[in-house]
Amino acid sequence: MKKLVYGLFLQVLLWAFWLSPAHAALRVDIYGPGQNVVSLALAAPLRGPHTEASSMGRGLQTLVEQNLSFLPFMRLTDPKAVLGGTLMDGYEPPSLDFKRFQLAGADLLVTAFWPEGDSGTKTVQMRVFETNGGGRLFGKEYSKVSTKELPEVADRFCADLLEALTGNGAFFRSTIAFTKSSGKMSGNVWLTKPTGRDLRQITNIQGKAMSPSWSPDGRFIVFTHIDAKSHALGVWDSSSHKVSRIRFPSNVVIGPSFTPGNKVAVALSNGNYPAIFLLNHAFKKERLLEGGNCINVSPSFDSSGSRMAFTSSRLGGPQIFMKDLGSGSVTRVSMNGGYNTEPNISPDGTLVVYSRMTEYGNRIFVQDMVTGEERQVTFGPGSDEQPSFCADSYFIAFASSRGGGRGIYLTTRHGGDAKKIPTGGGSASFPRWGLGGEKK
Amino acid sequence: MKRFTLVLALVLSLAAGFGCAKKQQSEPGYDDGMSAEMNAAIQQITDGRVYFAFDKYTILPEGKEVLRNKAELMKKFPSIRVRIEGNCDERGTQEYNLALGERRANAAREFLTSLGVNAGQMETISYGKENPAVQGSGEAVWQQNRRDDFRVTAH
Repeated sequence: MKKLVYGLFLQVLLWAFWLSPAHAALRVDIYGPGQNVVSLALAAPLRGPHTEASSMGRGLQTLVEQNLSFLPFMRLTDPKAVLGGTLMDGYEPPSLDFKRFQLAGADLLVTAFWPEGDSGTKTVQMRVFETNGGGRLFGKEYSKVSTKELPEVADRFCADLLEALTGNGAFFRSTIAFTKSSGKMSGNVWLTKPTGRDLRQITNIQGKAMSPSWSPDGRFIVFTHIDAKSHALGVWDSSSHKVSRIRFPSNVVIGPSFTPGNKVAVALSNGNYPAIFLLNHAFKKERLLEGGNCINVSPSFDSSGSRMAFTSSRLGGPQIFMKDLGSGSVTRVSMNGGYNTEPNISPDGTLVVYSRMTEYGNRIFVQDMVTGEERQVTFGPGSDEQPSFCADSYFIAFASSRGGGRGIYLTTRHGGDAKKIPTGGGSASFPRWGLGGEKK
Repeated sequence: MKRFTLVLALVLSLAAGFGCAKKQQSEPGYDDGMSAEMNAAIQQITDGRVYFAFDKYTILPEGKEVLRNKAELMKKFPSIRVRIEGNCDERGTQEYNLALGERRANAAREFLTSLGVNAGQMETISYGKENPAVQGSGEAVWQQNRRDDFRVTAH
């Protein structure tokens, strides 16, 4: 019973961090404020009873530690703080001494077992236990693991762990598309994992790429492409690795975004003003989504596709609005500040993140669509722009000049310390989450 | 006589060759066969910029004067084709600035059209804040970057 209650405590605690302020009362009412981090320890990886795996075992351990350092609600227990060390007789109870990890402050314990050894191509079993009662939270086996696959296995395990704890492992399954500039009017589309791994350039065309957006199936990325003479819709196909450049008569292509229905919404000219159009699967205009005698740009959709956040100058300066695509009603989202742009709606539809111009540069704000509460989640220095929600509606990637040159950073819907994603040299902008981009 | 004809042909072909070489060395956009008046018109159309207030695309009085001058020249030389390039300063965000730059380019095109310039002589593009005329920060720099540039693409 005690085990069950503690297991339930951990689940609810993690959910409490995951949930929006609208649901934060759950944490306070049941468990009270105070503890806001879950501590996790990794036992030494084993390839036999009391025999440490030192080759791939150690490599995987390091990669998992690196991955988990990106989770702001998780703290890794220092192995030196574990009296008696982290080497166990076995990989599951009763061979595990939970007490020593508990004394070191760990709430969770991860074990890794390589039954056939850890060199060559082998299988690894990963298990996670709560240290208070020894209950197993989850266990998984990953087969055909070689040194080359270790980063992918680390990502899969961390995604599985996150899913077991919170119900959503999208963070470690995601690939972020972004643009990297190499000079004036020059930039291409790149991909990276949120942890900075698998960094690679996917387009190589003259001119400037901006505003990449993933298709829901992960096959395509569309983006704005500008050269000296024209705007175009760039389309990268992950299956052929080719880029198409599609022009429109108005010579305006701004901020394309895929809908959940795998179509593209993009701002094109509606005569004199940029207006948001839905394109069909052949990238031809299907219908007008939002127009008028003002600027309408930067569409973003929730996972149902029924609501679209966008930027509009209908009230003078740019502000964020939400359109119910069923009824056609439009409501204002951003109520403060004179210059709010770049909205991105969380896939669950409860939050809209956007950038606001302040006297100190742009800053990122989150509007809770349930409570109506607005929260500032970045504070510079420099300028913070182009926020984008992960599929889990929790993590937010954004571009910032806080480090001098522009780079990609991670924060959460609650704010907190931003963590930089290493993207190499060059100015990185326009992070957009997706689930595609498999390497060929 | 035969020898004279051969020498004459050689001299003529060499002369023609030098003529071609000279044409290839011309400055881009400069045509030796073009009238000085046309050259001056192209220069004036290209040189004069139109500037805007922050987050605005209204043509200011000074801008209207610049555009009136361009309109007269474009009507006088209807073969001239102009690309109007809308630009913004660094402060706004990139997607909105692309839209704002488009509005700035359109505002100039609409004004020129109202002055009688054939719409077919003009095309527009927005570079947003991607193509600043001056690097740096501060209002002195920003006001030079909130602009329409005019580029002659054909004549």
